[in-house]
Amino acid sequence: MSTAQGLPPDAAPEPTPPGEQPGRNTGELVMAGLLAALGLYLVLDAGSIAVPGSSNQVGPRFFPYLVGGVVLATGIALGVRVWRGDQGPADESEDVDPTAGTSWQAVAIISVAFLAHALLINVVGWPLAVTLMFATVAWALGARGIVRPLIAGGIAAVVVWIVFVKALNVALPGGTLLEWATDWF
Amino acid sequence: MDALGDLVGGLGDALTPQNLLFALLGVLLGTAVGVLPGIGPAMTVALLLPVTYVLEPTSAFIMFAGIYYGGMYGGSTTSILLNTPGESSSIMTALEGNKMAKAGRGAAALATAALGSFVAGTIATLLLALVAPTVVDLAIGITAADYFAIAVLAFVAVATVLGASPLRGLASLGIGLYLGLVGTDVLTGQERFTLGVPQLSDGIDVVVVAVALFAVGEALYVASRLRRGPVQVMGASGSWFTREDLRRSWKPWLRGTAFGFPFGALPAGGAEIPTFLSYATERKLSKHPEQFGKGAIEGVAGPEAANNAAAAGVLVPLLTLGIPTSATAAIILAAFQGYGIQTGPTLLTTESPLVWTLIASLLIGNFMLLVLNLPLVGLWVKLLRIPRPYLYAGILMFASLGSYAVNADPLDLVLLLVIGLLGFFMRRYGWPVAPAVIGLILGPIAETNLRRALAISGGDLGVLVESWVSRIVLGLVLLALVGPIVLRLVRGPRSTPEELQQEGTLQHRVPAGRGRGDDEEEEEDR
Repeated sequence: MSTAQGLPPDAAPEPTPPGEQPGRNTGELVMAGLLAALGLYLVLDAGSIAVPGSSNQVGPRFFPYLVGGVVLATGIALGVRVWRGDQGPADESEDVDPTAGTSWQAVAIISVAFLAHALLINVVGWPLAVTLMFATVAWALGARGIVRPLIAGGIAAVVVWIVFVKALNVALPGGTLLEWATDWF
Repeated sequence: MDALGDLVGGLGDALTPQNLLFALLGVLLGTAVGVLPGIGPAMTVALLLPVTYVLEPTSAFIMFAGIYYGGMYGGSTTSILLNTPGESSSIMTALEGNKMAKAGRGAAALATAALGSFVAGTIATLLLALVAPTVVDLAIGITAADYFAIAVLAFVAVATVLGASPLRGLASLGIGLYLGLVGTDVLTGQERFTLGVPQLSDGIDVVVVAVALFAVGEALYVASRLRRGPVQVMGASGSWFTREDLRRSWKPWLRGTAFGFPFGALPAGGAEIPTFLSYATERKLSKHPEQFGKGAIEGVAGPEAANNAAAAGVLVPLLTLGIPTSATAAIILAAFQGYGIQTGPTLLTTESPLVWTLIASLLIGNFMLLVLNLPLVGLWVKLLRIPRPYLYAGILMFASLGSYAVNADPLDLVLLLVIGLLGFFMRRYGWPVAPAVIGLILGPIAETNLRRALAISGGDLGVLVESWVSRIVLGLVLLALVGPIVLRLVRGPRSTPEELQQEGTLQHRVPAGRGRGDDEEEEEDR
């Protein structure tokens, strides 16, 4: 309990030591704090929403105040509950090992890879950007080698691009080379 | 029988070769994506939404019908054949079906699931067709205040009744309501909470949020705690569905349907409670109670039927009131809005052919699932064996595709990642994500009706409890909010289904003198 004392609301959740059951109070306490902060922001910022002249009816501020109030109250109540040691059931999924420690490294690598691909799409085209993202994610999740994830991602990205762009007319930048190569479609 | 005439008309529209092809495509895609581990029905629909972008509304919704039922069916295949627990609404199927597969009865388990889904889906879809016009007739007279009350009931039900922790459900709902506020106010044209970012003035796209919370959040969460080592998939082998199996299955199918449809159709809808009730009932009524927990076919047949009947039931409030009560329904509502279709009580009159074609397609898709799925089971088993690193990389690829295709703006992908990270932390601490999606889509609808009601009354809050409909509905809201707190004080925390099974409190006809847990299964027959 004492470790959570005076935690700033914007601090990153502390990495859980491997092997320890995740869901220790600290991280969720930060979440509850951020939620309360969001509620506060909603209530405060709602006051600055411009209200047009005809103010004889309920304007655009009313619902934000309502939502902000509920969010603030929920954040505080949840914070108190978590502080007292309440824990939610972590999400279940077929591929999740409930006993495994949290691999923050995998989360970080995947996040960076996804961000990079978002910024690269308009530069090198969707297929190439996605191939790099795909390979990095697969590698971070333990796929063997570097060549195989790259080839798998490349084939998947190009096939998906051709299906969606050429057959379904979805707008996706293909990159100079691929657009030139498939021009005859 | 006006509804039947409309339904036949819808069948006529849906039975053209082109539309049948779309239904087939929807069923195949829905099942294939739904089978993939870690992908539930909501994520299936969200990920496949971009496929329908380019289609005209009728074809798109025919395909959607197939995806919806296909995704449901795919999920149960996963839970029977994969040796690990899945999401909560199929957990009952998983408990018994998995044991059956282990005992070499995988084929029978899949068959009873497929046949049960078909029976339940057909009955429930016909019920939907019969009930919908009546509900619309009732709903046409309701006021804006009533509408607001119903939306509040849906919020409270989704956030507090369905999850294990009501406060966490409310937290998730609040996040969704906040995301729904971002953008331009429809009634006055004022920007709210856009932080000066021009792209945000159009609001945050529901598809982006749904894909972020479900697909990206899930991928990140799985990545953080990936189950290493080889994937264990059980074969769909063993003796085929026998006469004895049918004899033991047909009553559970019908009882499951009877549980599933009404629960799905209530604004407090969802598949978890009826599957749970169906499992408990079958266990009580079975002639082979000793098999429960070891692979009883009734334990697959009943919950699976309940699950599918609930899925059809959820469409009642969606199509008649425009109120989504599950995450999947919220995404379907978003698809309606994407086509500029006004949902609500008028939907059935303004878009009558579209709605009846959609309902007819559900029947057709359901039949296709029955015909296709058992022969294709070998293919689904192969899909289950996809190495997990490639599977989750592929999920992120389709998440990128779906979100980028909405507006062709990389900023949407950054937003996708940010909300995806939020989804990751929510999952990590047991905050359910479905309330956020429902809050996002239903929040603006609730606000519009609230303000409309207050504008008519001149700001007098009394208008909210003026009619009997809103009084009753708000009474239910109060009950839903206070009920669980009282129950907890009386009985202690609610047990999860697994705990119930392990403790053996779901046992059938416990011999006298044997101790039993202080749980919700106290009623003994006689």
